[in-house]
Amino acid sequence: MTVLRFENVSKQYPGGHEALADVSFEVAQGEMLFVTGHSGAGKSTLLKLIHLSERPSRGAVLFGGRNLLKVRGGRVPLHRREIGVVYQDHRLLTERSVGENVALPLILRGDRRADIGKRVREVLARMGLGHREQALPSQLSAGEQQRVGIARAIVGEPRLLVADEPTGNLDPTLAAEIMSLFASMPERGTSVLVVSHDLALIKRMKKRVLILDHGRLMDDISPEDLAE
Amino acid sequence: MNEASANTIAPRPRSGTGIWLDQHLYSLVSSLGRVLQRPWTTLLTIGVMAVALALPLGLGLSLANLQQFAGNVEQSRAMDLFLAPGTSPGRAQAVAVELRGRSDVASVEVRTPEQGLADLRERSGLGQALDALEENPLPTLLVVTPRGDVPQLASALENLPEAGLLQHDAAWRQRLQGWLGFGQRLAWVLAALFGLGALLVVGNTVRLDIQARREEIGVLQLLGATDGFIRRPFIYLGAWYGIAAGALALGLVVVAARALGQPLQALAASYGSSFALGGLDLLRAVLFLLAATIIGWVGAWLVTGHFLRQTRPTET
Repeated sequence: MTVLRFENVSKQYPGGHEALADVSFEVAQGEMLFVTGHSGAGKSTLLKLIHLSERPSRGAVLFGGRNLLKVRGGRVPLHRREIGVVYQDHRLLTERSVGENVALPLILRGDRRADIGKRVREVLARMGLGHREQALPSQLSAGEQQRVGIARAIVGEPRLLVADEPTGNLDPTLAAEIMSLFASMPERGTSVLVVSHDLALIKRMKKRVLILDHGRLMDDISPEDLAE
Repeated sequence: MNEASANTIAPRPRSGTGIWLDQHLYSLVSSLGRVLQRPWTTLLTIGVMAVALALPLGLGLSLANLQQFAGNVEQSRAMDLFLAPGTSPGRAQAVAVELRGRSDVASVEVRTPEQGLADLRERSGLGQALDALEENPLPTLLVVTPRGDVPQLASALENLPEAGLLQHDAAWRQRLQGWLGFGQRLAWVLAALFGLGALLVVGNTVRLDIQARREEIGVLQLLGATDGFIRRPFIYLGAWYGIAAGALALGLVVVAARALGQPLQALAASYGSSFALGGLDLLRAVLFLLAATIIGWVGAWLVTGHFLRQTRPTET
């Protein structure tokens, strides 16, 4: 079953810059893949299109079979709740505790307070942050902040997890731990799309890789081909 | 990191009303926390708003008192119609009956020449001089209390064949009514202007708050917060400002009324009047608080609406 499909998608910004050109690919349910490319290759635009921060100039982006071009106004937040996003700069709310940050997707979804508390504690424990629930983000290390960001992205068990350079600020050991966590997500039915330019890490993970260059999809390498 | 827990907790399904109430409660509490976190900003905003609201409220209250005073004057707006000398008592009664039948007459009181003389004797202290008169020179007096169009009635009374002299102070009353009408309109205009001022104060404070929390709002939008979810805490913030400013404005007006009430009462007493400054009744005070809350609410709603329109994802 396909979770995400790009069909000949192009994105041209005002001023004429073409960030994506005729990009097509699919992501199956429970699949993990990497998107890589140099700076300006179109990786960020690709994430913005998935997240509906931008809309394609041509082509179609389908999520769960739904054409995102038809998702308008008040439906955009509902679409975003189906996707967990991990940002390189964490984007945590600095005045709220770790627990409150992680609880946000569940509050937005309208879960019961008691359920939220249990779920948040469970996910924080998975992240090794059970003891930091009351801490403010400023009291955490960069690695811990990144794990809080991941906890927030996965707490609602999204259909698709998108991570933008999630290991950029982390030491290799922690980066490997986070990647193994991502690798376990497909078992729970969540597809994972990781944007990274860390080729060594990508090779180690032995997952499918999309290579973007100047807005074009240059290659779609399967795990088997990558192993070869 | 720990391994994935096998027992994830599935959320129980909830009703839309439950979610709505929960999120409102969340916004209410977080906005109150926001107000308390920044006491100086809050006090300044509330202070400026309260002064802006107290001015039209004070003016309105003054006018209400003046109207009450004018109402008393209005009650004594009777016209004195002195009948021509020689009009018989029977004819005077007949004219009175005729006038009572008019729709623009509330009542007619007949004061005979004898009653008039007795009154004069009592009030003027000219008893002996009056005793020297061979006959009562006073005419019969009809005290006519009008209902409705005073000038038309005055004209009709003057044209009666039995009419001698008509005394009434319609012009003065009309001028007073004119001033009161103008004052009332002025109070409304000031209320609108100062209300707009209070609305802008709230709007500006909320705008600054939004700027300070721009990043947080951006994150919430990325996580799937609806416009309503983002707007709600700011709207509650505006409402808190409004209700607090309204309460403070009421307090200011009460203090001012207390300060002015006693000297005004003393002044009125020196003119033989028992006039006393009246305060705001409970219903009006509640309505005023409600209006102040709505001003805060609307100010915040407009500003957050503008912000959300600006930050909405591109639709092209």
